[in-house]
Amino acid sequence: MKIEWTRAAVGRRKFLKGATALGAAAALPAGMGSRAFAAADGVLRVRTYGDAQNMDPAHSVGVVEEEVHASIYNKLIQYKPGKEWDWQLDAAAMIEQASPTHLKFALRDDIGFTNGFGAMTADDVKFSFERIVAEATESPNKPDMGPLSHVEVTGEREGTIVLKEPFAPLWSIALPYITGNIVSKAAVEAAGGRIGADPVAESGPYLRDSWSPKEKTVLKRNPDWKGDTPAWDTIEVYPIDDENTAEIAFEAGELDFTRVAVGSVARYRDSVPNGGTLLEYPSLYYTWLGMNLDHPKLQNKKLRQAIQHAIDVPSIMEAAYYGAAQPSTGIIAPGLIGNRAKSLVPPAADFEKAAALLAESGEANVTLKLDTLNKTTFTTAAQVIQATLSQIGITVEINVLESGAFWASADNEDLQLVLNRYSMTPDPYYATSWFTTEQVGHWNWEQHSNAEFDQIHQAAFKESDLAKRDAMYQKAQDLMEESGAYRFLTHGATPVVHSAAVLPALRPDGQALLRYFGKA
Amino acid sequence: MFFYAARRFGLALLILFVAVTVMFLMIRAVPGDPVQIMLGPRATPELQARLTAELALDQPIIKQLMIFYGNMLQGDLGIDVFSGRSVTTIVFQQLPHTLWLIFASITWSASLGIALGAYAAAHPNTAIDRAAAAVSVSFVAAPAFVVALLSLLIFAVHLQWFPAIGAGEGFWDRLNHLVLPAFAIGLSWVGYIARLVRASMLEVMGESHVRTARAFGLSERRIVLIYALRIAILPVVTVIGVGMGFLLSSAVFAEIVFARPGLGKLVIDSITTRNYPIVMGSVLISTGLFVISTALADLINAWLDPRARAAR
Repeated sequence: MKIEWTRAAVGRRKFLKGATALGAAAALPAGMGSRAFAAADGVLRVRTYGDAQNMDPAHSVGVVEEEVHASIYNKLIQYKPGKEWDWQLDAAAMIEQASPTHLKFALRDDIGFTNGFGAMTADDVKFSFERIVAEATESPNKPDMGPLSHVEVTGEREGTIVLKEPFAPLWSIALPYITGNIVSKAAVEAAGGRIGADPVAESGPYLRDSWSPKEKTVLKRNPDWKGDTPAWDTIEVYPIDDENTAEIAFEAGELDFTRVAVGSVARYRDSVPNGGTLLEYPSLYYTWLGMNLDHPKLQNKKLRQAIQHAIDVPSIMEAAYYGAAQPSTGIIAPGLIGNRAKSLVPPAADFEKAAALLAESGEANVTLKLDTLNKTTFTTAAQVIQATLSQIGITVEINVLESGAFWASADNEDLQLVLNRYSMTPDPYYATSWFTTEQVGHWNWEQHSNAEFDQIHQAAFKESDLAKRDAMYQKAQDLMEESGAYRFLTHGATPVVHSAAVLPALRPDGQALLRYFGKA
Repeated sequence: MFFYAARRFGLALLILFVAVTVMFLMIRAVPGDPVQIMLGPRATPELQARLTAELALDQPIIKQLMIFYGNMLQGDLGIDVFSGRSVTTIVFQQLPHTLWLIFASITWSASLGIALGAYAAAHPNTAIDRAAAAVSVSFVAAPAFVVALLSLLIFAVHLQWFPAIGAGEGFWDRLNHLVLPAFAIGLSWVGYIARLVRASMLEVMGESHVRTARAFGLSERRIVLIYALRIAILPVVTVIGVGMGFLLSSAVFAEIVFARPGLGKLVIDSITTRNYPIVMGSVLISTGLFVISTALADLINAWLDPRARAAR
């Protein structure tokens, strides 16, 4: 073996000098020397939990994309920021319910699309709404448009929305939410009928300036916007899934607005760093314990009722939600039509009654499996349920699943108990739609099938009398609870924090309406 | 050397094939209908059927595998279901972020680890050696996620020296955004490399050529830095090659904790949403990176040390 004794080209001193210089260079000019704080440079930095990766409202997958869509597109009406659900005019200069199935509208004359696609016309409204319900579009958001028949164009900027039958959620979901976004007919047709990751023409107060996948979306003020001038020149939207990371970024001064974990609410109630503010909004989402009515172990209604009464909801609120959420009375949140003042089974457990019901059922040595998502809130709630059910002698085995496997539970023939949470839009129609007979085998995991419930669901979305509609949805929830398949837990909470420089504009459920965000 | 390199890269291709095939089969064994999870509760049956056909999920698994490899050989990794963009574009858009993170981590940890190990070996059984050993073992034992969170709280929140989230824009800003994540995932490697270099150095320092150098009256510093370290550093090259794989997995949590874009975050998000084309594209690239880096480490090792070449 021959060893060549040659001197290394880089000596120790040279190496150390180089490394020191590199370290200093990395730290000083960009790091310690020039740290920019959020909002200080006219940029609003907000966090969402996911990446807005599709700019087509017809194929939007929810809130994350809607936050961007609502800023770069216009709707006839928009949600009004505040604590009560309401709407305000946006692209429409006028809109009125001419009859239960006809809505007349007139567009403002000062809204135009980018990329040379001209002024917004009633043709664009017709195209945008009708493509949502067209079979060829294959839009998952089609149900939001309900029984839309067509849009009649009666003038350059005037038209009539025609429904096949009355549809109350038109005002609360269809027009002010995802499906209400108006796109440019000419631009979409030029793009082959479908919008992808990049918008083909925008019209809102902001334009999407750039999108760095998994990193951020940058919105810049639309120089041609003729409406009220938006407060911020630039909005940067950061997709951060982990709430703890978002909280650290907020406390480091890198975010101006973020939702925070319910476990952090108590800390932020004491003090929010950097002069910020904590806002606590109720959520529309609903969480419940479901019981599979088709499972052999859960055929006995008395057993199911015993389970309903043995679950102590206030304990779950304390342990899993740190006291930041309130017990729910059903699937429809406070503030919406159909919310019940109280549930049939009170939130606090009644162990005596539960034990008596169990004895009446004749069931003994009951062991049940409880499926839940692998999120701390749910696993903690499941543990509380396990503990409280054990007090009447029911053994619960907790089965923690990752989200993909959990959301495929419709295929799980052995599903027994399930701790579940569904998202929600601000209309009760959306909530009851998942518990109909039609949804058995899909999203109705309890296999709940009740003809009266189905009839109420079909009738209530057509009902224009608010009092009647309210009573119908309350009755629907009574039926769910009476089946013994449901123990309603909570709607959760939407706690958010914002920096001192920001005046947030939020829906009553705490979701951000970015275009209306102001400066303090 | 040429035949050795050809043999080594042939083996690398075989490893890549096996790893990607195993991942392909594993992801399809995960419970849940991927189409239903991808498209959500309100997708029309027609759309579900179309996507099932597009992803060939209605085909036998062997045929799916053949289709995947067939497309891959033509450079087609598929289309992302959500954005409609090419998987190749998406993966290669995220890859540089992960590579920068790994490169930064390995660079600083290897530089400090080698220096620490060499210094400890040059002063065996002294207080400095014992202190270096304590520091090294502490670094190895420190869980990376704890280091990440603590460094965030100290350097981003309290001192506000470095940014907490994102990847930055422009060279200096990107470098600035790398400091904390690279520190977090590289720290344990400092200790590991230091211990490795120390042990290797002590062995080399006892060899005859070092005794000869001493007999020639060369300075101890020259002996350590020029003659001993050059040989003692060889195991580190191999370790760094293997370390690339570990750093790829560490990058996953760093990308989540520091809200950075990158391959790891892409894979996690895609597995959760059962976005098969993205998962397989990411797995292919990250496995390829690992296999290539270990192969390169072996080749560098063989080039630096003919004994390694001869032993194979």
